[in-house]
Amino acid sequence: MLKALANIGKYIVLLKNIFSRPEKASIYYRQTLRELENHGIGSIWIIVVISVFVGAAITIQTNFNIENPWLPRYIVGVTVRDSLLLEFSSTMVGLMIAGKSGSSIASEIGMMRVTEQIDALEVMGINPAAFLILPKIIAMVLFMPVLCAVSVAVGLLGGYLVCLIGDVIPVSDYIYGIQYIFYPYYLSYAMFKAAVYGFIIATVAGFYGYHVQGGAIQVGKASTRAVVISSVMILFTNLVITNIILH
Amino acid sequence: MIRLENIYKRFEDTYVLNDVSVDFEKGKCNLIIGSSGSGKTVLMKAMVGLLDIDRGSICYDDRDFVKMSPPEKQDLRKEMGMLFQGGALFDSLNIEENVMFPLNMFSRESYSRKKNLVDSSLERVGLRDVNRKMPAELSGGMKKRVAIARAIVLSPNYLFCDEPNSGLDPKTAIKIDALIKEITLDYNITTVVNSHDMNSVLEIGDKVIYIYQGGKCWEGTKEDVLHTDNEALNNFVFATSMAKQLKNS
Ligand SMILES: Nc1ncnc2c1ncn2[C@@H]1O[C@H](COP(=O)(O)OP(=O)(O)OP(=O)(O)O)[C@@H](O)[C@H]1O
Ligand SMILES: [Mg+2]
Repeated sequence: MLKALANIGKYIVLLKNIFSRPEKASIYYRQTLRELENHGIGSIWIIVVISVFVGAAITIQTNFNIENPWLPRYIVGVTVRDSLLLEFSSTMVGLMIAGKSGSSIASEIGMMRVTEQIDALEVMGINPAAFLILPKIIAMVLFMPVLCAVSVAVGLLGGYLVCLIGDVIPVSDYIYGIQYIFYPYYLSYAMFKAAVYGFIIATVAGFYGYHVQGGAIQVGKASTRAVVISSVMILFTNLVITNIILH
Repeated sequence: MIRLENIYKRFEDTYVLNDVSVDFEKGKCNLIIGSSGSGKTVLMKAMVGLLDIDRGSICYDDRDFVKMSPPEKQDLRKEMGMLFQGGALFDSLNIEENVMFPLNMFSRESYSRKKNLVDSSLERVGLRDVNRKMPAELSGGMKKRVAIARAIVLSPNYLFCDEPNSGLDPKTAIKIDALIKEITLDYNITTVVNSHDMNSVLEIGDKVIYIYQGGKCWEGTKEDVLHTDNEALNNFVFATSMAKQLKNS
């Protein structure tokens, strides 16, 4: 308990360091582009693949569960759309990226810590926390909403494909359903949540990597911990945001 | 000149540095020697502010480092170059980018001017045609030399080297020592070197400080080292029985 409080304190101090006195802006710009490529573009494929299957699976599941002659078939489309928008494409994508990018950020920074590269930055007169973590935060906060939107689109496509190929509901019902009473606000809500998760992943993973002490084993532990803690924080934040915004 | 006064540093409740006071002089290679675990690395890290000290003062040419605010420390650090024991090269950057890194961060020169500085730094440490290689593709000694090139590329006023030749063969070790000495004289800077290698003490130790169990036990020149009657230092310098016999003969 005491250790958890100490960690929260250290986390806040680190955030303060990250957002203070950046050096040359041009360098940060270049770093951010690199991180966008690593953690953004590099994650699109996995998100596309997973979202297609999940969109298809939700479509089949929903159809199976509400097989009721009194309900119109297009309800399946509505449900698929809203499940993707409200939970899957933000929270599930958040959890997946926490696993993928969170562990890589924590081990990259952790390895730099144990090989004294962070000390080297500091002795050069650079603020290592800002230099290493800020570009990752910016990249994640910018790109998570994009991944979320891609996931929604591809998920809907997965549902469409399964209607087309399989014998689920007529394609026309599906198309009608996914357009039925659509609140554009849901999309911005999902993208907002994704941005918050991006912030959580980058800072929590950065935190655990930055404070590694020891060697390769500790780096491994830090990266596991980064994934676990950021996942828990994502689920918790999801609860809080959902409560505040949807009610 | 770097002046340390009454430095204390403890981890939990064991003092690792115990009342260390010493002047490191400009234009000289100042060597800190001592057995493993005596506190050399802790002292060096304390001097550059990677570790906070509990008590004492550290002055860089009359600028009190301990009392500085973080931004002021950051500015002073731009005058420092440091060679870490493992080199600490950035492994995502190639050799040229590694050496150019401090320039990219702090100077507004054009690329071609920076490239010239990088090439002449690498030349200085005797490396050619490695610009495009990654650190993982170099040998240990080459990495150390790249790290030296990076440390000197901004022409620092203060150069710190933590065990520059540990893990190197005697010939490469001598080359690196000679290089450090040369740089110190050419740029007339204050150089501090951690070492437990007697060869380098006798090669380059303009001023030698012997650390024993976290305290300064002895100081003098490389000539004095061989003729001291300080028992702890004698035990350190003439550790092997052969060396003892030589001294007694
Ligand atoms: N972060 C730390 N936490 C606790 N104790 C430490 C820490 N760093 C160093 N020490 C202790 O301080 C003492 C001095 O360590 P230091 O690394 O300065 O030795 P050294 O003289 O550089 O040795 P070597 O020649 O082997 O590099 C050791 O007893 C070590 O256990
Ligand atoms: Mg050491």
